[in-house]
Amino acid sequence: MNEWLWAATALLALLVPLGGVALVAPRLDALVAVEAAGSVLTLALVCLAQGFERSAYTVLGLVAAALTFAGGLVFLRFFERELDP
Amino acid sequence: MTVAILLVLAVASEVVCVVGVIAGATVYDRLHYSGATTAVAPFLVFAAVVVEEGTAGPSWNAGFVAVALFVLNAALSHATARVARQRQRGDVKL
Repeated sequence: MNEWLWAATALLALLVPLGGVALVAPRLDALVAVEAAGSVLTLALVCLAQGFERSAYTVLGLVAAALTFAGGLVFLRFFERELDP
Repeated sequence: MTVAILLVLAVASEVVCVVGVIAGATVYDRLHYSGATTAVAPFLVFAAVVVEEGTAGPSWNAGFVAVALFVLNAALSHATARVARQRQRGDVKL
């Protein structure tokens, strides 16, 4: 275990409480937790790529950042009118 | 040693943000901390990658990740706040 993998482990552990918020909070609050989880996960991917010395995989972080944004917009589109609080 | 310090700071900032998301009283409080997850930590991780890799490819990738998270999450937080306001008060045109 190097420092990158420790950091990635800590970041991945942060997904657990965010998942808890997503489960129990009101829907829009849950979406905010999911958005935060996407950011944390993106950083964890970068740390994992460095930790395993597969630095080309840092591109995964870029893809995750873009997909987190797109996924959030899709949820927001439905939250605008279709879903109840 | 520098890399470890930068990573500890990055993880610590994310912990603060996650605690804020958990403890936030309203959706706007939670959005504040959710947005902060992309304001500090990605650039600390980017700095750590630069310290370790120099100007090689991974540093560019980490830089793009940091900038993408910062810009895209700002737009997403803004859009989320608009939807929250519309659902609560109905005075925002979407």
